[in-house]
Amino acid sequence: MPQNWTLRKPKPMLNPTLITVIMAATIIGAMAGALGSFLVLRGQSLLGDVISHAALPGVVGAFLASGGRGFGAILGGALISGALAGLVVQMLRQGAGVKSDAALGSVMSLFFAAGVVLLSVAQLQPGAAGLTVFLFGQAASVLRADLMPMAIVALFVLGVLALFWKEFQLVTFDREAAQAQGLPVLVLETTLTVLIAVAIVLGLALAGVVLMVAMLIAPAVAARQWVRSLGAMVVLAGIFGIVAGSGGAFLSALGTGVATGPVMVLMAVALTFGSLLLAPDRGIAARWQRQRLARRALRGRQVLAALHGLSRDHHDPSYRSDEAMLDAYLGANAAPVLARLERDGYIRAAAPLAPENEVRRWELTPAGVMRLQDVGASPDA
Amino acid sequence: MAQLHEPHIACHVEDLTVSYRERPVLWDIDLDIPPGVMAAIVGPNGAGKSTLIKSVLGLVKPVAGHVRIFGLPVAQVRRRIAYVPQRQSVDWDFPATVRDVVLMGLYGQLGWLRRPGRKARARAMAALEQVGMQDYAARPISQLSGGQQQRAFIARALVQEADLLFLDEPMAGVDAVTEAAIVTLLKAQRDAGRTVVVVHHDLQTVARYFDWLVMLNQRIIAQGPVTEIYTEDNLRAAYGGQLALIGSLRGHGLEPDAPKPDAPRSDAPKLDAPKAQTDA
Repeated sequence: MPQNWTLRKPKPMLNPTLITVIMAATIIGAMAGALGSFLVLRGQSLLGDVISHAALPGVVGAFLASGGRGFGAILGGALISGALAGLVVQMLRQGAGVKSDAALGSVMSLFFAAGVVLLSVAQLQPGAAGLTVFLFGQAASVLRADLMPMAIVALFVLGVLALFWKEFQLVTFDREAAQAQGLPVLVLETTLTVLIAVAIVLGLALAGVVLMVAMLIAPAVAARQWVRSLGAMVVLAGIFGIVAGSGGAFLSALGTGVATGPVMVLMAVALTFGSLLLAPDRGIAARWQRQRLARRALRGRQVLAALHGLSRDHHDPSYRSDEAMLDAYLGANAAPVLARLERDGYIRAAAPLAPENEVRRWELTPAGVMRLQDVGASPDA
Repeated sequence: MAQLHEPHIACHVEDLTVSYRERPVLWDIDLDIPPGVMAAIVGPNGAGKSTLIKSVLGLVKPVAGHVRIFGLPVAQVRRRIAYVPQRQSVDWDFPATVRDVVLMGLYGQLGWLRRPGRKARARAMAALEQVGMQDYAARPISQLSGGQQQRAFIARALVQEADLLFLDEPMAGVDAVTEAAIVTLLKAQRDAGRTVVVVHHDLQTVARYFDWLVMLNQRIIAQGPVTEIYTEDNLRAAYGGQLALIGSLRGHGLEPDAPKPDAPRSDAPKLDAPKAQTDA
């Protein structure tokens, strides 16, 4: 295979290079989204970041050892250094009693620093200039010949996920229950972590070690907003991953030498923010709307109760209350509330007592009295 | 197949010692729970109640001792055991419906590569009906109240149709109505011949709910029928000097100390004869 690992100038749209890039981004996006769901649900996003950063020394080491950039060598090197990082994290936590996040944070920096040092050494070698794409990703660095092995690995990963679906589901939701049922929890968790690591490593050339984990986390967080089952979450996260991945790859290929990773991540994060804002039920907008409706209903009940209380105080069931009194009672302009209540038939307006008196007066309708009783809240309580 | 050891005992624990790092949590536990009882494990915070259940189930590795369930090692009788962990031990924002969670109880029985089918779904629905949650089957678990979460977890255990149920604080943080429903449900399980073991925190209800009692404070303080074990002496031994607590429990089935002629208990009100201990 020719080592054309240097950046190539983007050619006109939808040339073969661009098609290759989009296909690669589709594969990576789908796999990252699907596996990312498990990463997020297990609360291990930071571990994903460690695996991704820790891959750098492995990638560079594999290049130095094999003297070139072969798909298998890069994948293997990254996985080995990722596993090594995981081991060090484990040692720090259980051997030295370091808190989880501190262990993860320091190991991430340690491996990334080692990777950058190795990278600067490797740059002296011929043909190594392209290695820097692993920092932030470069879509154009993906070769057509990489597509097939990429697709095979992705299919394998998703196949394992499908095969042991219910076990992965139970281990992710309730580890102890899985253990009590006799499932080999440690094996399952390790397998899941390895699958996640493969998904991360496979995307490194495209998204870069610094940002790859966002391609797992962001689609999963976005998908969580819309679904009520794990299956739906994984599928939707995969779709979001495809949209962000291929869209980002396409956009970055339009410019000259624009790093792909950041554009893909920006797209993924846009999807996430959109989902956090707009999703029904769980979205921020939906929550605001619910709060607004609840406040509105409360105001309405307050006004009905005030009307009821005034008529009782005057010993007059058909007492008509002055709108100004209701304004005073609410501490705000009661007109919009009154308009809604009138529209719903709970109150009706009466003519002013004196013609020079502009202010409207209101009385409860039988429906309004019923409404008060419905709610169960005694108006004079 | 291992040799049967104490097969007539539902849960037999011998010389069990568990320690987290260097700190012993359970010390030299010998425990026998006969079949067909509803047993409570009580003890102060940090007594190792949850750890005892977890080490019986093999979730925590003991440093010494062994466990036999119906005479066999736990690994060989997993299908006869169901476990309800503490409700707070999982993230209830997990994307799953109530039915999904109940079905998870069957995953171990289904075996590898098999998906829950129609029969499993029917069993899940039946379990949900038992806990009165059939109308919530399609509800996302993130929308459940605490009591509903607990009932969903119990349904997940019931669906396994196990002979021995372990529940870790099932009555913690649920309202009185739910608590009563759970107790009725568990008593029905016991009356059907199953063995129910519950980590319990409320001493006031021990005598009313349970017929077997294990008092624990790192060691076994006492174990046996609740009528014999629920005494002031044992409580004092388990809970230390918190005598005010013990005073408040009189009238909740607490047995008085044996009268001591040299120490008349002028402060203690006369105790009536102990109430009926169980409604079995």
